[in-house]
Amino acid sequence: MDDLRKRAKELLETSAVKVVIGYEQGTANKTRALFVEKAEDADCLIFDSRCVQNLATYVTKREVKDKGKMAITATLPVMRSIIQLASEFQVNDNNLLVLGITPESKLVEFKNLSEVETFVHQYQIEIDAKNKEMLDKIAKMTQAERWKFWIDELSPCFKCYACRAACPMCYCHRCTVDFNQPQWIPVPSHELGNLEWHIMRAIHLTGRCIDCDACYNACPLAIPINLLTKRMLEDVKINFGSYQPSIKADHLMSTYKPDDKENFIQ
Amino acid sequence: MSKIGVFVCHCGENISATVDCAKVAETASKYDGVAFSVDYKYMCSDPGQSLIKSAIAEKGLTGVVVAACSPRMHEPTFRKACAEAGLNPYMCEMANLREHCSWVHEKGEATTEKATDLVRILVEKVKYNQSLNEIRVPVTKTALVIGGGIAGIQASLDIANTGHKVILIEKDPSIGGHMSQLSETFPTLDCSQCILTPRMVEVAQHPNITLYTYAELESLEGFIGNFKAKIRRKSKSLDEKLCTGCGLCTTKCPTKKIPSEFNEGLGNRPAIYVPFPQAVPNKPVIDRIHCTYYTKGKCRICEKVCPTQAIRFDQEDQIVEVEVGALVIATGFNIKQTDFFPEYGYGKYPDVITGLQFERLASASGPTLGEIRRPSDGKIPEKIVFLACAGSRDPAKGIPYCSKICCMYIAKHAMLYQHKVHSGKSYVFYMDIRAGGKMYEEFVRRAIEDDGVNYIRGRVSKIYEKNGKLIVNGADTLLGAMPIEIEADMVVLATAGIANDGAEELAQKLHISYDPYRFFAEAHPKLKPVETNTAGIFLAGACQAPRDIPESVSMASGAAVKVACLFSQDELTREPIIAVVNRQAPPAYSSCVGCFLCVSACPYQAIEKEEIRNRNGELIKSIAKVNPGLCQGCGTCVAFCRTKSIDIQGYTHEQMYTEVLALLNEY
Repeated sequence: MDDLRKRAKELLETSAVKVVIGYEQGTANKTRALFVEKAEDADCLIFDSRCVQNLATYVTKREVKDKGKMAITATLPVMRSIIQLASEFQVNDNNLLVLGITPESKLVEFKNLSEVETFVHQYQIEIDAKNKEMLDKIAKMTQAERWKFWIDELSPCFKCYACRAACPMCYCHRCTVDFNQPQWIPVPSHELGNLEWHIMRAIHLTGRCIDCDACYNACPLAIPINLLTKRMLEDVKINFGSYQPSIKADHLMSTYKPDDKENFIQ
Repeated sequence: MSKIGVFVCHCGENISATVDCAKVAETASKYDGVAFSVDYKYMCSDPGQSLIKSAIAEKGLTGVVVAACSPRMHEPTFRKACAEAGLNPYMCEMANLREHCSWVHEKGEATTEKATDLVRILVEKVKYNQSLNEIRVPVTKTALVIGGGIAGIQASLDIANTGHKVILIEKDPSIGGHMSQLSETFPTLDCSQCILTPRMVEVAQHPNITLYTYAELESLEGFIGNFKAKIRRKSKSLDEKLCTGCGLCTTKCPTKKIPSEFNEGLGNRPAIYVPFPQAVPNKPVIDRIHCTYYTKGKCRICEKVCPTQAIRFDQEDQIVEVEVGALVIATGFNIKQTDFFPEYGYGKYPDVITGLQFERLASASGPTLGEIRRPSDGKIPEKIVFLACAGSRDPAKGIPYCSKICCMYIAKHAMLYQHKVHSGKSYVFYMDIRAGGKMYEEFVRRAIEDDGVNYIRGRVSKIYEKNGKLIVNGADTLLGAMPIEIEADMVVLATAGIANDGAEELAQKLHISYDPYRFFAEAHPKLKPVETNTAGIFLAGACQAPRDIPESVSMASGAAVKVACLFSQDELTREPIIAVVNRQAPPAYSSCVGCFLCVSACPYQAIEKEEIRNRNGELIKSIAKVNPGLCQGCGTCVAFCRTKSIDIQGYTHEQMYTEVLALLNEY
């Protein structure tokens, strides 16, 4: 990824951006996020198949935003996240430059976010076969079996909130669980409390989640919480047609159209 | 520390018959923070209100819970009483012991227990109540009337005569509505157009009325006193200022065979047309769907013959934006067509017609110039059968209601037929004769006794064609359901009155509710018959249910008075039950992150962007802001906000949570 390093260097040298967000070699053969502010540090930037962390989660952080204009190394899921964030007024052309990396690992630089949007729209969001199989399996369970499945899966969760920290859409300064006057969602990690937290998270991500799996990858217990959001994504597809994040389009969950299906009322 | 007063009302026996009110009051007196608790026979009476007022004064109450009927009934009464005693009216809450408890449960301990629960949750809530002040908003003293039938005309004239401006919009090229299609009117048999057209002219000439024909409501935003309406003025392809209404174009138009809407398909009209001779305005429009120029790109004959060069083929629809304070909806009704009835020939027999088509046949301005002639061959029918309740009062057809006007107009039709065809025989099949109204019963008797119309109580199972006759198979239920077969020349179906086309869509644009039959719903069937559940929007005429002319007119005048009442004030006060986005100390300023998903979620377009800037004018943060004038307090944004940054005043998260806990916790 020599072009990436070269371009990052140029951008920083010309002060076109103040910080380049990318990946660097971490410990234990893992990669981690890198924030390059000096041109000479750009050599630490790497990109390979291990770089799956969704970097879009950093562009809404005040510590990063306050540095000035950002450039971000963006794989397809990251670009999708950025488009969703743009539609929610969290990023714009003035504070973000996207250094896109195509699924063929080629570097493309976009002039503006609407170019990113056009690029992203070439690819449909597809749930992979393995997860699809799992979703089907869960859908076929009886109510009691499904209840048991989720209670079993979610009860080990100790609410470290790594899923929330890893998710680019969880950028709220005050999360619903942090709202404690009153405390609608219980904080202790007991079975029902865990269930409430994960259901609430899935609902808040419906129509916004772009299926990057960052939450699942971040979970220290490898709880398949991404199945919840994937299921919501499927429902969104069934009820509103194929889903693509879009800067200008109306939000799925907050808009009403007279021809919306109302098959949830049964 | 709260000092709360609990006032338990017996509502005569409405509550006390099943709830032990004294026990409810006694239990409530033991709750934390309750300083005073009492039960009384009629809390809404003067002595009852005095009880509340004196308790506020003597005990220094900080909150009041009145356990009585629905807040929809008496909340204003008790809030006012509290205000008179010096307590902020929004420190008063009502527990609904009547509709929510005593009326729906039997006498017993469990019922009393539920009543105490209802009181307790409100006691806990009121501890978190905060003083609120009413919101004042100005009133735009212009009314928008939708629909130019007799109801819309009457409402417009009445409002205009009180000195206020009216904008009247009508979707067709002329005002007049269904009434202009009628031949004579019951029970006096005076000519419909003769009594209607002076009103139509008055509308056109009234200085306070702006008339937009060929126009429809595009969208409506805002709230009582401050609506913003967008009106689509469909292109008439005509410069109305230049057009003199000479009508030359309509005679020269080569496309002449378009079924006339005004004549219910019994006559034809050209593509450039005036619907009827007395139309207001008496200027043509081009029907772009049928016009040869718009369909094939050639013709423009009307343009060539027009002496004032008024034709404008390139004219586009115009959107007019108006600000109005109130709306009267008078969009009228429609009728089922004959094709709705498989048993009566699916609409394929030309001589089976609707009541409205018969009106056109009987009308002097109709296609037969007032002679009753059957559509198929133009012969004068010697035997004619009228069928009441065609579709109406028939749950199997999905129309269980009575269309109300048919009994009367069928008597009128039969009478007109007998007056015009002296040798003719007329039959009326009916279920019941519903002739409630001044001079109505006498009118029907006149048809039966003086004009010799044969009334047969029974329904018709089948109509079929045989040798140029229509064979009507029915039964006479007053003669032991004896089968009856009539060889008729013509059959008139009094088809059911139904909601007008597009009623559902319009209701959604206006945010008003409608019934299962898509008629618009009144706010209260008895006491608020012209109001809708959306403040500032009123109903007139048959858009609410099938209505005859006198009813439509009186309803229109009623709606006009409601508008005039509204316009008699310069300012309106509104309840402060609205959403508010929280504000916090810097550097957060608000827990709102400015995702603005609430903006699209808000059904009232009440949420806007607020930019928080520092002293140098630099943008620090953009957050949502609720416009207190527009917010209706529905709470959709509250449910939507992920950060819980929005609260409804008087129904905050904390108050709701407290209520739930009060129910769940043991006391």
